[in-house]
Amino acid sequence: MQLLRSYRLLVTWQALRKKNYLPLMMAVQTLFSLGIVLGYPLLFPTLDRTSIYLIATGAPAISMVSVGLVALPQTIGEQKAEGSLAYMRSLPVPRLAYLVADLTVWMAIVIPGVVLGVLVGAWRFGLELQVSPLVVPAVLMVALTATCVGYAIASILPYMLTVVITQAIVVFVFMFSPLTFLPDKLPAWFEAIHSVLPIQAMGEVTRGTIAPNEFGLPLGAFLTLAVWCFLGFGVTYAAMSRRG
Amino acid sequence: MLLQIEELTKVYRTGVRANDGISLAIGEGEVFGLLGHNGAGKTTLVNQVVGLLKPTSGSIRIDGRDMVADPGLARRLCSFQAQAQVPIDGLTPRQAIDLLGQLRGTARTEVERRRERLIDALDLGAWQDEDAARLSGGVKRLVAFAMAAVAPGRVVMLDEPTNDVDPVRRRLLWRQVRTLADHGAAVLLVTHNVIEAERSVDRLAILDEGRVIAEGTPAGLKGRLGAALRLELVLDPDASEIPASPFGLSAVPVGNRVMVGVPMDAAGQAVAWAESLKHAGSVEEFTLGPATLEDVYVALVGGAEARPAQVEEVFDATAA
Ligand SMILES: Nc1ncnc2c1ncn2[C@@H]1O[C@H](COP(=O)(O)OP(=O)(O)OP(=O)(O)O)[C@@H](O)[C@H]1O
Ligand SMILES: [Mg+2]
Repeated sequence: MQLLRSYRLLVTWQALRKKNYLPLMMAVQTLFSLGIVLGYPLLFPTLDRTSIYLIATGAPAISMVSVGLVALPQTIGEQKAEGSLAYMRSLPVPRLAYLVADLTVWMAIVIPGVVLGVLVGAWRFGLELQVSPLVVPAVLMVALTATCVGYAIASILPYMLTVVITQAIVVFVFMFSPLTFLPDKLPAWFEAIHSVLPIQAMGEVTRGTIAPNEFGLPLGAFLTLAVWCFLGFGVTYAAMSRRG
Repeated sequence: MLLQIEELTKVYRTGVRANDGISLAIGEGEVFGLLGHNGAGKTTLVNQVVGLLKPTSGSIRIDGRDMVADPGLARRLCSFQAQAQVPIDGLTPRQAIDLLGQLRGTARTEVERRRERLIDALDLGAWQDEDAARLSGGVKRLVAFAMAAVAPGRVVMLDEPTNDVDPVRRRLLWRQVRTLADHGAAVLLVTHNVIEAERSVDRLAILDEGRVIAEGTPAGLKGRLGAALRLELVLDPDASEIPASPFGLSAVPVGNRVMVGVPMDAAGQAVAWAESLKHAGSVEEFTLGPATLEDVYVALVGGAEARPAQVEEVFDATAA
């Protein structure tokens, strides 16, 4: 009961804190998606059917990854550096309630960008997507994994390092991650790296449920996400509970 | 005593010994001031009590219960105003205070009643529905205080609550601090404002490089100084040396001033001495007045030579 009550109040608090920031966030994500679906065809004037679907479904995946693994750790790192995270940690609430409440609000920031990304892609390429009902748990799973891993990065690293790492992640995600192309385009050793990182699985789960007629839905990807999600949450929870 | 701190030592991972064997006890209904130079270890002490930092050694007990072993309980028993600003941008003061009250487990209607009273008492009505992102630093700090006071724990820890606050509202704030104690809380308050602390706290401790160098009531500490009066000399900028005090009491240089302790029965003699210095040109002007807690503080923590920047700051009563 105490947990639920704390959760509700903390969601209110965190949502209010971010309310001025939400429209900006949505605008940036829409621009991201627009940039991808409008930009890639300029780079590659002749796109086959698979590539078109990859780009259209890659945009929402990139949008989730960039909020979860870039915007989120930067924000949390900032809160850590300025001491506001310490204040929140001093509240008489279960740490679990705080963490789950904050993740809820971050998920709420991620999701509109995903919907916008899908719409922008379908509009640009005139696609009629046969979206699977599994898209809801799939997108939630991807968003949760991205936010948990992002949170863990900010929790364990000093702020300056978080900034550097997230900048590296931006380049890595946009250029070298199989979100808008298939992993077999990568050299074998790089493919092997991606098979254990969560980013490829995020792409697979996203496109497998947004365009199920075009792509398969590998169960292994769900497993990879589950492991990373659990890991990210665990590390964050431990860091949250630690006293300096 | 409700809050009992014994031999508390905190060594940061960097090797800084921020608290070095601090023992303090604060009772119900008591307002306890914690003074000390920048970096003396005040915030470190507060953060250990509220369960944000783990002591290297020593114990913290509230009502006999071990807070080091149970930081979750510490967070429930202590309400806390941090030295850093509160993260309430996007919230209005009204929302922020209500949320904190409810998070501390008080029923909503009761929280609203208390919030109204606090907003009135601190004269914050004009801002209560304003986004905190647009509030001035002082108003935000008062809101942070109200958040700590709306549903107070048995122990209330306030880390520099008067910073940035205007003189009129500082008085209102001190009154609310007293109200908290009157309702049975043990209040520990960190401040650099020695003059206000003298008027408002029951007891205080002065921290210096992680150790308690003095503790007692304001009157008791002044008594220990041995000087009932203070002669303040403003030195001539060209004067080459500091005049030696004929009273055998403390004479502490602070910037271009010297604070000289004077016994009560030597008032006339002190004025005559100062007049002669002024006549000789080494002193520009002087004032003789009752000794204050500030004199105790300066005498203990040392003069300008020891730590110029810090002492200057302490002397500037309105400094942020
Ligand atoms: N997280 C930390 N890691 C390492 N050293 C720290 C940390 N926080 C504080 N210190 C050091 O511990 C000492 C005490 O710092 P603290 O913040 O407790 O001082 P303070 O008395 O609150 O000072 P102020 O009046 O400026 O707020 C300082 O030397 C400071 O540099
Ligand atoms: Mg401090």
